[in-house]
Order: sequence, then C-alpha cells, then structure tokens
Amino acid sequence: MTEKIKLYDDSKCTACRGCQLACKQWNALAASQTENRGTYQNPPSLNANTFLLIHYQDYVDKEGNVKWLFRKEACMHCTDAACVTVCPSGALHYNKATGTVGLDHDKCIGCKECVAACPFEIPRWDAATDKVYKCDMCESRIMNNMEPACVKACPTGALSWGPKEKMLKIAAKRVEKLGGNATTYGDKYVKGTHFMYVLKENPAIYADIHKDPSVPLSVTLWKGLLKPLSLLAAGGVLGGAFLHYMIHGPKYPDLPKDENTEGGK
Amino acid sequence: MQKGYVQVTDSYERILHWMLAISCLLLCVTGLGMMFQTFNFIGYLFGGLKSLKLVHNFTGLVFAASLILVIRMWWKEAGVFVFPEDLEWIKVAGGYLWHVDKVPETGKYNPGQKLFFLTVVGAGILMIITGLIMWFPTALPAGLVRWMYPLHALGFVAIFAFFFIHLYLGTIGNPGTVPAMLTGWMDRAVLKKQHPGWLKEMEHEGKLVVYGEEKKSGAHGHHA
Amino acid sequence: MTNHWVDFKNSDVILIMGSNPASNHPVSWKWIQHAVDNRGSKVICVDPRFTQSASKAHLYAPLRSGTDIAFLGGMIKYIIDNKLYFEEYVKNYTNAAFLVNPAFKLPGDNKGVFSGFTNGKYEKDTWSYQTDGAGVIRKDPTMKNPNCVFQLLKKHYSRYTPQLVSKICGTPVDKLIEVYKLYGSTGRPDRAGVDLYAMGWTQHTVGTQNIRTMCMIQLLLGNMGVAGGGVAAMRGESNVQGSTDHGLLFHIWPGYLGTPSGSLATLKAYNEKRTPKTKEANSLNWWKNFPKYSASFLRSMYGMNMGLEEAYAALPKVDDGANYSWLSLFDQMYKGKFTGFFAWGMNPACSGAHSNKVRQALGKVDWMVNVNLFDNETGSFWRGPGMDPAKIKTEVFMLPCAASIEKEGSIANSGRLQQWRYKAVNPVGDSLPDGDIMSEIFFKVKELYEKKGGPHKEAITRLTWPYGKMAGKHFHYDPRKVAAEINGFFLADKKVENPTKKGEFKEFKKGDLVPTFAWLQDDGSTSSGCWVYCGSVTADKGILPMRRDTADPTGLGLTPGWAWSWPVNRRIIYNGASVDLNGKPWDPSRAVISWNGEKWTGDVPDGAGDPGKGRPPFIMKPDGVASLYGPGLADGPFPEHYEPLECPVEKNLLSPQKNNPVIKRFDKPGVGSDLDVYSNVGTCDPRFPFICSTYRVSEHWQTGVLTRWCPWLAEMQPGMFVEIGTELAKEKGIKNGDRCIVSSARGEVECSAIVTPRFKPFDIDGNMIHEIGIPWHFGWITTKDRTYSPGDKKAEVFTHGDSANLLVPTIGDANTMIPESKAFMANVAKKGVK
Repeated sequence: MTEKIKLYDDSKCTACRGCQLACKQWNALAASQTENRGTYQNPPSLNANTFLLIHYQDYVDKEGNVKWLFRKEACMHCTDAACVTVCPSGALHYNKATGTVGLDHDKCIGCKECVAACPFEIPRWDAATDKVYKCDMCESRIMNNMEPACVKACPTGALSWGPKEKMLKIAAKRVEKLGGNATTYGDKYVKGTHFMYVLKENPAIYADIHKDPSVPLSVTLWKGLLKPLSLLAAGGVLGGAFLHYMIHGPKYPDLPKDENTEGGK
Repeated sequence: MQKGYVQVTDSYERILHWMLAISCLLLCVTGLGMMFQTFNFIGYLFGGLKSLKLVHNFTGLVFAASLILVIRMWWKEAGVFVFPEDLEWIKVAGGYLWHVDKVPETGKYNPGQKLFFLTVVGAGILMIITGLIMWFPTALPAGLVRWMYPLHALGFVAIFAFFFIHLYLGTIGNPGTVPAMLTGWMDRAVLKKQHPGWLKEMEHEGKLVVYGEEKKSGAHGHHA
Repeated sequence: MTNHWVDFKNSDVILIMGSNPASNHPVSWKWIQHAVDNRGSKVICVDPRFTQSASKAHLYAPLRSGTDIAFLGGMIKYIIDNKLYFEEYVKNYTNAAFLVNPAFKLPGDNKGVFSGFTNGKYEKDTWSYQTDGAGVIRKDPTMKNPNCVFQLLKKHYSRYTPQLVSKICGTPVDKLIEVYKLYGSTGRPDRAGVDLYAMGWTQHTVGTQNIRTMCMIQLLLGNMGVAGGGVAAMRGESNVQGSTDHGLLFHIWPGYLGTPSGSLATLKAYNEKRTPKTKEANSLNWWKNFPKYSASFLRSMYGMNMGLEEAYAALPKVDDGANYSWLSLFDQMYKGKFTGFFAWGMNPACSGAHSNKVRQALGKVDWMVNVNLFDNETGSFWRGPGMDPAKIKTEVFMLPCAASIEKEGSIANSGRLQQWRYKAVNPVGDSLPDGDIMSEIFFKVKELYEKKGGPHKEAITRLTWPYGKMAGKHFHYDPRKVAAEINGFFLADKKVENPTKKGEFKEFKKGDLVPTFAWLQDDGSTSSGCWVYCGSVTADKGILPMRRDTADPTGLGLTPGWAWSWPVNRRIIYNGASVDLNGKPWDPSRAVISWNGEKWTGDVPDGAGDPGKGRPPFIMKPDGVASLYGPGLADGPFPEHYEPLECPVEKNLLSPQKNNPVIKRFDKPGVGSDLDVYSNVGTCDPRFPFICSTYRVSEHWQTGVLTRWCPWLAEMQPGMFVEIGTELAKEKGIKNGDRCIVSSARGEVECSAIVTPRFKPFDIDGNMIHEIGIPWHFGWITTKDRTYSPGDKKAEVFTHGDSANLLVPTIGDANTMIPESKAFMANVAKKGVK
C-alpha cells in the first residue's frame, strides 16, 4: 500500500468552490433548496448530498485587521478511523491501496453508529435511503489513478493529492514558508489523517474546527473493552456452568423423602 | 400431567416470560451479528444486515413492552429482597456453590432469581434507553450519543452472561424446573427443594393449586 | 489584454484594482499563486470591499467606489516625485518628450476642466502637439520643457497629494504610500507589475480614464510589452474578446475598423478619414494599412457580387455623432422608436442599467425574438413584476438555441487566444446552433427581399453565405467554413510582393488562404472577415485554434503551439517595448523576444524592426510611441478625478468641476425620459445616503440565465444579498440574515443582509461614508413566489430576488457609455422598516 494524502492549503484557497461543485458533479449529488442566511456558506452544513463544504468566516484579529477565512470541510480519512471501528457491516473500510476511508453503500445498514463515533462529525445519515454518506476520497477515481474530483477542479493548487511521505514534506515546507501561526492540521490526530490542512492562522480561530480530535473514549471502551468482554463473560459463564455441573452437580429434588406427596401415583 | 403437580405459573406469566426471553435472545443474536463483523453472516438469516438491523430495532420494541409488563407482574415477588431470609440464603449462596445441609427457605423466588430479575430489569432498561437513542442518534448531540454505544455494550455484557447463567440454572443446573415455564406445573418435590418457603406459605393460605384437586380459593392474583 | 492570464506568473507585483479575480476569474488565480509561490511576488488588492482576492493579497487598501483616478493619480505623483519611473523607456517609447500646444490648459489652472470645453464638449484645438515646418512633432529629449508631456503630466498630478487623495478616497495615507511604494518598485528593468481590472473600472462615468490612468502608470514603470506586465482586462464573459473583435459594438466593424458614418459617402472618403497619417520618420504606423482591411472586409461580405464601392454603399452607416450604445438603444426603444427587437443570448431585462426602464421599453416594440437556452426575464417581461399582460402589445417569439457544448465553434478569451471547441452532445429538443438559426432567418429574409423588394435590398440579396449546406429543410452552418472566411482568401490569381522581403514575390491562386494580414490587398483581390484573425487558418496546418501543443520554449508560458492568438499568434503585444533600443531585453531573465544576431527569437516580435534601427515599438499608434498624453479621448488627454454622477459628497475636493463634464445626462430636457432620474447629483439626498456598488459571485454568470437554472450553483448562492458593514448594520438595526430592501431613485430590490466587517465606513474629508454592495445575477423568473402558468419550467432550486440593475442609473462613461453600475447612491432598510 502507498498511503496517500489530500492536502488543503487554506493560504491558497480563494473559496471559488470549484471543489464543492466538482464533488457534487462526480458523485451525482442532488442540490437542496437553500437561502442566504447572511453568509456565502451554503448549504449550511454537510449533508447526505454534500460531502464537501467550504466554510466562510469573517475574522477580525486583535489589531483590528480583517481576514476572510476559508476552510474546506470533508472527511479527514483517519488512519485510526472511529467510523471504521464502529461500523457493524464493513461498509466503512480502509482503502487497501491508499489508507483512505471508503464507504460501500451496498453494505451500509443505516445504523448511524459512525455518525456518533466520528470525532470530526462528518458522516451524515439520509432518512430516504436509510444510509450514511460521506466523502470516500472519490474511490472510483483514485482506484483508477486519477486524483479526487475536488483536487482536479482546484485552480489555485490549494488542493493536492499524493503519497503520504511526499505530502507531509510539502506541508511542513509550506508551514515553514508561511511562518507566523501557520501549522498543519490532521497529521497529529487519529494516527494521522489522509486529508490534512495547512492552516495559515492559528487553528483555534477557525470556526467549527475540531480542536484536538481523537477517537472518542466511548469508542475505545466500547470496541476495545466491552466488545471482547461480552464474549469473554458469556464464555466464562458457560465454562463456569460446565465446571459447576461437573464439580458441584445439579440441584436434584429430594424425591424419596417427600412426605407431602398427596395421592401418590 | 401427573396428579399432585402444583401450578406455579399461569399462562399470562409464561407468555410474558417467553416474549421477553425470545425477544432478548433474538436481540442478542441480531446484536451479535452487528457487533462482530465475523458474525455478519447472521444477517443472511434475516435477508441481509439491513433487515437484521430492522429486526433488532423492532424486536427491541417487543422486548421493551415485555419488560415493562414483566416488571409490573413480577416486581413484588422478584424485585424486592425480604430480610432476613434472603440474606441467609445469600450467605450460603443458595447451596449452589458448596454443600449446605439446609438451604434457608425463601419466598417464591430466591435471591438468586431476584438478582437475575433485577439484572434483567436494570440492564434491560439500559438497553432500551440507549438503544432508542442509537436508533435516532441525530436527535441528540454526538458527544452524548456516542456514550450510548458503550453503555449498550455494557448492558449486553451483563445480559448475555446472565442469559447463559439462567439457561444453565433453569435447565440442567436445576433439573425439574423447566416445566414451570412450559406447562406451569411443577413437581411438588422439586418445589419443596427449590422453594420450600413459598410452598408452605401457599399451603398455609390455602392458595395452592394442585392438579386433580379443586381449587381452594380464588384465582392467582398477579395480574388482578 | 496585452498579455495573457498565464503571464501573471511572470509578475513581481500584481495589483488587483477594479476586479476580484479570486471570485470572478478563479482560474486566473492559478497564475497569481504561481507567481507568489515561485517568484515571491506580492499581491495588492485595492477595493471598497474586502473581497476574496483581498483575503489572499499581501496588501489591502480600501477605497471609496469611483475614486480610482484620484488613487492612481496619487501613484503617478509618487512615482515621479520619487523617480521610480523607467526613464529610458519613458523617453523612447512614450510621447513623454512630445511638446504640446502652449495654449493647452490643465484642469488645475482651468476650473477643473481642460482647455477647449464649450457647450458640454471639448474642442480639441489646444490639445495638439507642436510641430516643425514639416509637420514633425517637436520633442524635448531632456523632458524638461514645461510644455512637454512629461512636465505637464508631473504638473497635472502634483495636485494629487497623498493627503488630498486620502480625503477623496477614504484610504488611509499610510496604506496609500504602502501601495505606491510597492507598485512603484516595478519601475526597475528587472521588475514587472501588472494590473488586473474588470467592470470595477469600466462601469464608471470615468471608466475609460480609469484604465488610461493605469496604462500611464504602466508606461512610466516600463511595464508595457514585457512579460509580467500589461494592463489585464479580465473579461466578464468567455468570448467577449472575440465578440468585440468581430464587431459586437456599434462603433466598430470587425477588426476595429471604425463604423462608417453617413457623411462618409464613399469607400475612398471612409479610408481617407480613418487612415491615420504621420510625419514621424521611423514610425511604422500600422494603421496605414486600413484600406486593405476595409476592402478585405467588404469582400468577405459580398465577395465578387459587388464592386468595393458598391459594397461599401450597401452596408449600413451610423448617423454622424449618433450614439447607438446600450443606454441610447433602450432609451429610443422606450420612446417607441423600434418596431422589433432580437434579444440574442442577452437578458437586458436584468443586465441593462435601470432595468425597470428596459422592461418598460420592451413593451413598446411590436415583436421580440428571444434566442436563448432558457426563458428569461426578457422573454417573459410581459408577465414580470408590476406588468399587466393585457396592456402589452409585444409579441414574443422564443427560439431555443444550443448551448456551447452542443455545437462547434471557437471563443477568444481575455488573452486574445482563439481556442476551438468541439461539440460534445447534441442540442436538446428543438434547439439549434445560433449559426443555423441565423442562416434560416437570413434565407427567409433574402427570399422576401427577392420576392417583394425593398430599400437597399442588395445589401441582403447579394451577401455571400458560403457557410454550410442544406440538409433537408435545414441549413447546417459549418463553423470551420466561417473560420476560413474570417481568415480570408485570395479572390483572384495574383502575384504579390512579400511584405517583409522586398523584391521577393509569391503567386497566389484564386481560393488560396491569405497567409497573414500583411498580405491583404486594398484592390479587392483578397477577403478577410476580420483582419486581426488573418493567419489563423492555413492551407497546410488547418485551423490553428485547434492546436493543443503545450511546449513552452521560453519558459514564460507563451506556448506558441497552443491554439492561436491574434495578431499573428503573438502572445504579448507591444513586445518590441520589452527590449532596449539595441534589441537587448530589459530583463534577460524574462525575455519575451531577443535578437540572436540574425533574427528575433521568442514571441512573434511586435514593432521591433531590426535592432538599432530606431523604430518605435507601438506600431498601432501613428507616431509609434505609447500615449502618456492621449488627446483622442472625449474627456481629456490626462485622466482627472471627477466624482461619480451620484455620489455622497457635495463637491470634488480637487476642483470646482464635480462630475465628468462631457457625460450625457439622460435627465436633461430632450435627452432621456421621465424614468431617467438621479439622486445626490447636486446636493446630498438623505433618502439615498449610501454608496452602492454591484458585483459578481463565483457561482453565477452574468444575469444568471444559465447558472440560476443549475441547481448546484443556485444551492451555493441562492439569492440576492446585500453586504453591509458592521457599523452601518448597527446604525440601521439590521442583523445578519435579515431581509432588507435596497432602494435607489429608480427602484428597489429585496436582499438578505450579510453583515460583515469586510465593508468598513470611509472617512471622506471627516465624514463617515458607508458603502454597500449587491450582486447582480438574480432575476424573478427563477423565484418561488412568481406566478407559474401550466407548463412553465420551475427551477429545481429556486433563487430569491430580482436584478441589481433595477437600481442602476442611466448614466454612462463619457467615451463608451458603459453605465455607472459601480458607484451610485442607495438606501438599505430592514424589510418592513421605513
């Protein structure tokens, strides 16, 4: 496997939303009726038909400088993906070629366990199909040696796609060049994401960004501890019962001594 | 049916018991099918994992309804410990683990059975609440919802283990007890061994229904 | 554009002023980013609003809409004061050394107007150059003579001090200086700067002069003709360059041949009038070839069906002095002067300034043909808001046409690059390619003329139409044949002297393609539909715009084998100015052309001649040099700051002349109509206290006729909004997302409020002035609340609101008549609140 990473560099993103459109086009996703609620950002959030969303944020720093921050939200494709861990059916899976997280809709049973487990709040459930939807890094493209549709559409180079080691180096170099508060985001979490950011500003100032995301403790407890424990406990009981039967024996009624038997036989 | 057998359960009790038991078993099986990808094959029995999930969800509703009725029905008999008798029984572990000359007499249900009942009630309620939230997870914040899963799993750990305990004690561990939940009639001898206190009480109150004899008093009063 | 978008990668400083390429030309940002990443280039954004481009710029400076000349005039002063100009370039390649008539007066000495202002227009006698006895322009190579262009320029802009400019523009002085300093740094030979402008500069009463000011700066800094330089007109439509080349505008024939007026009765008179003459010995004066191009154009129309003079006579003329621009056309239509109207790929009911007037005007014609992909606000104007269909006589015909991907053809983009496009899918339903529709109409009209006759019937009946063939009942138009016709043919066997090699002759046969426009003839032996495109189709290589070779030998992104750009596949025009007098590139690391001892290498040389021969490089100018001083324009040889017609200030801080003195006001008696009203012209009008500007978003195109029907795009930008600064919103009690009414003296439009710190109030001479902004892509036809008749198509995703142009005044630029959409006065209030 050659792990691959999609890199988003917000210092190069002009929020033209070519990516958001390309995503809809390649994945044949329907549009929803929206309205302007006082922002360019639409739809308001990710949904079953929107796997990729450009966030728009006005920001005024302490010196009074105005900034307009853009951020691309989509599945982060964790190396330690809580969604894959919790998925009961194997619909969510690691792509063996790239390490990204694919989603096989034929297998999805709409249990929504991933919806709750994802530390980035990415998967969205759709009532009509009773299935969950998210970016699968365009598996249909990347498995055919094409870049994801969003990367293909990006005019400025804000999005790029390539082998993990190379992209990490590019990201580190870019952070160094940008200086200031610039940093990478994603690589430090969940054993490294396959979609990562170079952020020009301090990540803390980006609205709705997940600070210090990790595989939720609940998921670890559940899948790491309780899941094996359930079999262990049941097995223990069976074993215990067997031992009990063998050693102590069952509790037979004291038939011969029964003085209260009425009517006999 | 042999003459002299004593009626220990009526049909209502038995139906409820089995509704609870079967739904619980079904939930365990279907739950396992979703919990372990190795058990995904269970889904084939239901026409796919998706229908398995539906079966699980709706069986959950049957389980919930059964549990509520069961609690209403058995709470007095199995939901409260009676002291000091129950304590005495617990002290000797009901004679299940080591030899005891005389097992302390308890009511219709011994503390072991009560413990089982309460576990089922507690874990069952946990499963129902967490399960319902898991069914509609988008209604609550993800941070809260995500804790429902380990809790559901925790309930499963308990229920699944207790299921096997119950299976053992209700069958080969205590020979002669199975009919209680099949026909409702039990050999007086078995009863004497397992539930001497209750037998005495019933006899004393004249409520004992014995096969082939006229009923001495009114109907069984659980659901009166 | 002089250069190409790709060439942005060669710029050291990219000034974004008058445009918002990050939003509206997203692909151009690829090259801007390329420059930033690879050259360490700096991006400056000057805009009233903090835009997406501003968010990516290294330096942002706000300015009040309509004050660009003041801002840039201040830059000229800074460049001259600090000697940042490229002296050798200025001296040799511009008219800086030319001596002007001593009687010429600058606005600073003449109450804000140039000398010669009488009766609302300029008599230009005093704007002339001094000449010697032989008619050669007098020059002062030291540029010290007080009447030389350079000294006049210096004097004119000496009034534009940073303090005064700051008071006019509302730009803080330190920001002004920062911009001036950074952009002025490109005056060195080894540095290049480019400005990216679009409608932010053109749509003003001083639009042409806005752009001229920048051209002057580019000339002062030696940024014209070089890689990474130029003045980049970011086109608002993918083929607007092509359509302009081919005669879209009323005042030019294809190839920028001025439209003949009634007084020019003969071709001879027309050629005489339009062919510039010069006494400058070294000047090539390329336009001396005008008669060749006019003759070849006439031949492309009528072939040998008519003589040249006859053909000239057959073609329509404009009335002397008449203006047929958009504002005038719809004014005349409103006054009932039109019988019928073709709205071909246009949506004037939304795109025209003062759309309410346009919509009323559409009801004054007997018939209208709406050729479009979709029904639009124009085709359905009769059932639009406030219309009573029963009272409208106009009969509307809808002709569905094919989309760009449903037909073959070409476009010419901002970089003058003609690219071939192939048909991808068949047209939907009954729709046909425009060429097929035009052909069908042509043959019908021709048939009627032939049967019934009519005035000037030969103008139609004798047209050549070799563009395809009949297939069944339909004429199928072949764009490849049109491409060849645009290139041009020899119409007779002819032996022609090689225009670049004296004494060498070449024989052409009738029907041969003309190799380049240098071979075109004035005797009627050649045809060419648009001379600047001559050379785009060749006998051996076919249609050059089809080429797809990405090889880039210079590394500058010229890619000469990719498609074809006019003229003669030259990628950077005026590139003769990128080398010194001896042919050595100013910046060898960025050499567009260079002389290898025998010939020029690199781009197709422009006006370079042979090195050392002294040929001035701006060969399209009669005198061979670029115009720092431009007496050709209607409103002055130097740009002067005038306030927008509707403006928030009582007076022009620079002079007693508040507005551009030569604009045509439609509210004057006998000019416009009852609907042409303005506010805030003489005094401030409290009803409309805020500056309003219109602009675009990435997601929609033009009036949105194509994009509003696309659910994905409508989803992202679902409707009219108004961007309001945080301070103003607080003052008006408007919260983010509130429904608001934005109104002007001409109309109102409902918008959602975007309350944002990206719009800051301006400190204009001590007054706090607010500006608001609205996009113009919307229209009522794709809204949910309109009335629908059975069979009406409904948008999958509805949009909200109507056109921003409902608010825009009917006032145009003094030279082009483009409406002043970028600076007018308006009010904004929460819906339901007075």
